[in-house]
This record gives sequence, structure tokens and C-alpha cells, in this order.
Amino acid sequence: MTKKNYITAALSLALAVAIMIYTGMNFMAARDIPWPEQGPSVTDIKLLSDWFPGLKDTNGDTWVYVLQGQKPGGKMLVLGGTHANEVSGYMAAFTFIETAVVEEGTVYVIPYTNHSAMTHNDPGEGNLQYFTLQTKSGERTFRYGSRATNPVDQWPDPDVYVHYPSNQQLSGSETRNINRGYPGREDGNLTEKMAYGVASLIRAENIGLTFDLHEASPEYPVINATVAHQNAIDIASEGCMNLLMQGIDMALEQSPVNFHGLTHRELGDYTETMALLMETANASQGRLRGATTLNQVLGGWDDCYVLSQKLGMLYVPWDENGHPIEERCGRHLQGVYEYSQAYNNAHPDTPITYSGVPSYAELFLNADPAKLGGAHLGSFLM
Amino acid sequence: MITIIYRLILALIVGLVGWNLFTEKKLTMQLNAAMVLIPLVLRVLMVK
Repeated sequence: MTKKNYITAALSLALAVAIMIYTGMNFMAARDIPWPEQGPSVTDIKLLSDWFPGLKDTNGDTWVYVLQGQKPGGKMLVLGGTHANEVSGYMAAFTFIETAVVEEGTVYVIPYTNHSAMTHNDPGEGNLQYFTLQTKSGERTFRYGSRATNPVDQWPDPDVYVHYPSNQQLSGSETRNINRGYPGREDGNLTEKMAYGVASLIRAENIGLTFDLHEASPEYPVINATVAHQNAIDIASEGCMNLLMQGIDMALEQSPVNFHGLTHRELGDYTETMALLMETANASQGRLRGATTLNQVLGGWDDCYVLSQKLGMLYVPWDENGHPIEERCGRHLQGVYEYSQAYNNAHPDTPITYSGVPSYAELFLNADPAKLGGAHLGSFLM
Repeated sequence: MITIIYRLILALIVGLVGWNLFTEKKLTMQLNAAMVLIPLVLRVLMVK
């Protein structure tokens, strides 16, 4: 060893430590996530731990926005951010919270159902950390998270994930997927506790109708679709017909009885709620995508998918117009509206009515095409 | 017990990489060793 070796070794180590500190700060900053502004009907903002104290002071605890109407009625829950990389799910929840005027009943909205998943992302997928939109109050920054719970909060994954209580076996990483963790358990891992918290809220508040808002890759068969528990299939059928009559292509599927851990199966089985899950098309989640860019995430613009469509490899139509965030949020919000209307028809004594939320036509069909891809959605946000 | 063995193995590798860092003559290899060393030290300390 020479003195020169020591000096260069020390400099190399100092450089590595500096990189670690910089990236560590960036990683920690991801824990500071943006929340919705209080819309006209927000009457209370609670924590999920108010229903399940086992989540208190954990990164799984999350804000629950309560929108109470002027008149009594039924209760509805909207889950955004079950998967924190499925942008239209939580952006539809943001839009609902900031625009809805609830007239009858109470609507509970959780923008980040898996709060922990929003505090990191998947750099191995080349994913974004943040994106910005120009809103009524100026530029706002939003997070792009991960599908699964942050491994800092729940680690390591088992080789095989055994779902409780069905004993269904899935790959180990699914142990951090909240949509494989329902109905959850009180003394389980953090993801199971988050799922238990949602189920506890539903049971305690007697939620009649629950929506879980998702996105899927264009290669995935369940896309532009609604999946409904068998106890919700009647209202789902009525709502789906109304969506189809408005030109919104929506497939309806009944929740498979033997596929466990998902909202549309377990919340229907273990609570009294009617559970529905909706999927839109997100190019940034697919295996056939090109480089992950902001335009791809918010606009759905991706030449690789245009080619994939020509090769017949997709389950959703794709062309140069992509599938902008306005279309995807519009589908979710119009779906919530039509299914809740169908719920009201079936439960006239406990209606849930609201106005003010932009429709599919307002968000997408009637929009200036030049403003699609985030700018138009931002114009509805506070 | 398995965690202790895991940390002992990591400590051994940290020692070897550290030795490599200070004995290696090529700067690029020293940089390489330094980058590898950091996450290993964090794992020994059980910092995720």
C-alpha cells in the first residue's frame, strides 16, 4: 500500500458517501407527499387509524376525506391509490375531493389507500418520482409511487405469500400488495393491517357502496373494465349499460370466487358493502412500452404501443392519440357516478347524490385536444 | 441465529472489500470498491 493508494481510496469512499447522502435525502423526501385541497363538501379529514388504531404512527396510516351532504342518505367509499403507480386512480380521487358537492348521504374518499406505497417508487422500472400540473392555484406537484408497500416499512418478502384467511398461495412480493391482502388482519404485517383498516372503516360506517380505482397495462385482459362482487352485479349491470349508452366502452366481469385478497372479492365477502373495481389503460405499466416519460404517463403517448396494436398484442385500442389522463380519470369519475345512480335506484331510502364532479364529456370528449395530457385535468383542480 | 450469520458474512465481505479499496492501484477499481462498500456497511448495521 502506498500513500497515493490511501488518498485515492479515501477520496473514492468520500464520493460514495456523498452519493449515498444525496440519494438518501431524495429517498426520504419521497415521504413528504402532496394531499388534496379541501373541496366544497369536505366536512372532516380523519385518519384510517381512527377506525383501526393498530395503524397509528405507522407509514400505513392515511387520510380519509369525509364529504357529508346536507341531507342524510347512504354512504359510499372511494379508494384511490390502492396501487400508487396507477395515476388515474388517485387523481380521480383528488378530483372528486376538490370538486364534489354532496347533496344526500356521505362520501368517504381515501386518495392513498396504500400510503406506504406512495412514499417510494420503482426506479428499476425507470419510473418517475413526481409530475406537475398547472391548476387553479398554480403549479402543483404530484407523486408517482409504487405498486407495493415500501420495503422500508415491510421487509423482507417471504418466498411464498400465503393469503389470510383463504391460504391461497401467491408469489412472495404480493405480500406487499394491499389488493391481495383483504380482508386483512389485526395482527398481520403492515399491508394486512392497512387492508384491515379499510374493512374496519366499511364495517363501522356501514358503507353501502365501495369503489376501488385502478389502472392496468394494455397487455392485461382486464382493462377498460369493471369487476363487481356478486352482491353488486345488479347495480353494476345497470351502471355499465348507462356507460355504454354514453359511448364509454366498459366491460363488466363478476369477481372470481377463488381469486382471493382483492377488494371486489373480500370486501363483498367480509363486509356488507357492494364492492366494485374499475380499470383504465396506463401505458407506463406495460411490458411492451418504450421509455417511461411524462408524456407516456399523462398522455398515454407511446409509439411502441401503436406498433403493438398493429401486431394485435393489446386488449385495448391504441393509436397516436394515446389514452390521456383526462380520459382515464373521466372514465373513473363517470363510472362512480353511474354506479352510484344505479345504487340509488336500488336503495331509494338511502340515496347518495352529488354534483360538481366533471363528467367524462367535460374532462375528455369536449376538451381541447391540445390540452389533453394533464393541462385540462389541472384546470379542474384547486 | 440466521440474522447473526448473515451479518457475520456481510462483515467479512465488508472487510475484504475494504482491504481491496485501500490496496487496489487502479482508481476505477477503487471507485468500484467504494460504491460496493456503502450498501454492505448499511446492511451490517441493519439499516434498510
